[in-house]
Amino acid sequence: MTDIREQMTGAFPARTTQAGEAPRPLLEVRNLSVRFHDDGRTVHAVDGVSFTVEKGRTLGVVGESGSGKSVTSLSVMRLLPRHGAEIEGGVFFEGRDLLGESEGTMRDLRGNRLAMIFQEPMTSLNPSYTIGEQINEVIRRHRGISRSAARERAIAMLKLVRIPSPEVRYDQYPHNLSGGMRQRVMIAMALSCDPELLIADEPTTALDVTIQSQVLDLMKELQETTGTAIILITHDLGVVAEICDDVIVMYAGQIVERCPVEKLFSFPQHPYTVGLLGSLPRIEEDRERLVSIKGTVPGLSNPPRGCRFQSRCPFRTEKCAEAPPLREVAAGHFSRCWRAPLSEMPL
Amino acid sequence: MMAEPVLEARGLEKRFVVKKTLLGRPLLDVRAVDGVSLSLMPGETLAVVGESGCGKSTVGRLLARLIEPTAGKVLLDGQDITSLGHEAMRRQRRHIQLVFQDPYASLNPRMTVGQAIAEPLMLHEVVPAAHRAARVAELLDLVGLRPEHASRYPHEFSGGQRQRVVIARALAPQPKVIICDEAVSALDVSIQAQILNLLKDLQAKLGLSFIFISHNLSAVKHISDRVAVMYLGKLVELGTTREIFSEPRHPYTRALLAAIPAAVPNSERKAEGLKGDLPSPLEPPEGCRLHTRCPYAREACKTVPMVLDMEPSGHGNACAFWRELPPAEGLLPQAVSRDPKLDRLFAAFDEFTPRAMEDMA
Repeated sequence: MTDIREQMTGAFPARTTQAGEAPRPLLEVRNLSVRFHDDGRTVHAVDGVSFTVEKGRTLGVVGESGSGKSVTSLSVMRLLPRHGAEIEGGVFFEGRDLLGESEGTMRDLRGNRLAMIFQEPMTSLNPSYTIGEQINEVIRRHRGISRSAARERAIAMLKLVRIPSPEVRYDQYPHNLSGGMRQRVMIAMALSCDPELLIADEPTTALDVTIQSQVLDLMKELQETTGTAIILITHDLGVVAEICDDVIVMYAGQIVERCPVEKLFSFPQHPYTVGLLGSLPRIEEDRERLVSIKGTVPGLSNPPRGCRFQSRCPFRTEKCAEAPPLREVAAGHFSRCWRAPLSEMPL
Repeated sequence: MMAEPVLEARGLEKRFVVKKTLLGRPLLDVRAVDGVSLSLMPGETLAVVGESGCGKSTVGRLLARLIEPTAGKVLLDGQDITSLGHEAMRRQRRHIQLVFQDPYASLNPRMTVGQAIAEPLMLHEVVPAAHRAARVAELLDLVGLRPEHASRYPHEFSGGQRQRVVIARALAPQPKVIICDEAVSALDVSIQAQILNLLKDLQAKLGLSFIFISHNLSAVKHISDRVAVMYLGKLVELGTTREIFSEPRHPYTRALLAAIPAAVPNSERKAEGLKGDLPSPLEPPEGCRLHTRCPYAREACKTVPMVLDMEPSGHGNACAFWRELPPAEGLLPQAVSRDPKLDRLFAAFDEFTPRAMEDMA
């Protein structure tokens, strides 16, 4: 455990792993569980989630409303309310468990080595400060450089995310900017201290498609130049296919499938993912009817015993009354289904 | 033989006054819809697509005469409804119904679902009072809900179920046209698929015509027969779904298609991006409105008038130079061949009925 005061002065552990040491993942989430207590009810929002993110990779987290994807990311950033949310498990960032760190250390990390962007840039930006001032503040907070040096850095960041005439924009307020531009400002701010990990929670959902594709291209490009690892939380499988390397699918608070992105689209191994892919209207093919997953997501205050998808699953057997583990069903392909690999199921 | 359109827009124009002088005279206005002509055939789904601020929702509201056009007409079965008086219009309203994006905002939280669906039956005297309850049950069944749901309140339903309620209410007065304004946009994909399937089934069963306003081109491709593409208040292209998606002509349509994120990893697609952001609708660019962002813009585009040039075939487009553009191939990813086993897995979902619909508290 590194001394917290030492970190406060900016002496973070070296970014490079020492020679001979086994390369450890940049982020490792181990058996994360989050419960919320509300009115005597306990909502188990995240249940035993484990995954890793490597340097320079993009991990997609897919799921529908209430699947626990945003709560997972907020726990990584330690942004959940301290009271009310009960968090268990471990979130290891370069080997240190963030869940055990002090609030002061977290403030040093956030915006610096861990950054996050949200769906609605207007609510993330302060309407009463210029965008330049807001980026400037982040840089000065973490780099301790002068205001004018930070200004230069901020303008360089705005240029990097292709904001036209960044010197002019620097002095403008969020309301002067379009939605796409605001999201680019958020990206500029998030990347201004060269974070190792960027968590993007539905970063393009509020944007129009042509702007969305500009922002996605930008994120891809910036990742290539900066090597930042990205966790992209989205409900849009199209966006996942466009920019992710690996993907996890969440359902009712659990990871139900985890694999490299190509495998998910070529042959999903969890029935929920099968339904999800089938329900997607495809732009590249014609399909008369969409698959529909019948029923609705179970409530998380009283999740069904056994497999959480069983009441909606066409492939259910008696075995499903028992909770299935997430296991490797093909090389690098994990599924939380007793019947996986689905490719070998007799139909 | 040509069927008569059930709903038709002729030269629709809508200006919203943004600024007034001291005396209340308009000083600055925005042309949200600028000369749009469309026709909707019986049993057809016509999609209106475009990005925020293009005027697609305003077109929907004009077609239902929820707002008055500044110029132009709307014809329902050949009859001009824009000139109708209040009472005559009220009688026509039953023929054009609307379904909006947020089903919760569309339902009165203090009314049971049954009351909400019965209201249009009452207003338009569709069925005698004694048959109302039975008709409500029928409508609920039609949209895949159960008759006993009639006594419940909107908050007891999930988003997808609420949207079904809204659709049942829209069906109640037996309309000819339903205008769906981003009707599936707020729903999760699997629920979205249920609603899209439902709309298709209802159309087949009841011969309805739909105006499907959406920014989601994948959903549009799935459900529509024809597509109208709008940009800054203007129609830029109009054609059959096949024409729009496989032979797009207007650079804006092409850019839209190229921007759709497709669920195909590592697909080889042609990049065809637009430059910069949407110009302010208060001061749309002169000439072709796309010229500030168009990758193929040339000098003449700054002055050439933007008019939808309709071919006799029905494919219209507003780019004067479309013939000189490079071929519009590879904008969409190639369909990848799928493991036939996966198709069988998909099919299994369709045949499946869940053991218990534990869908409500």
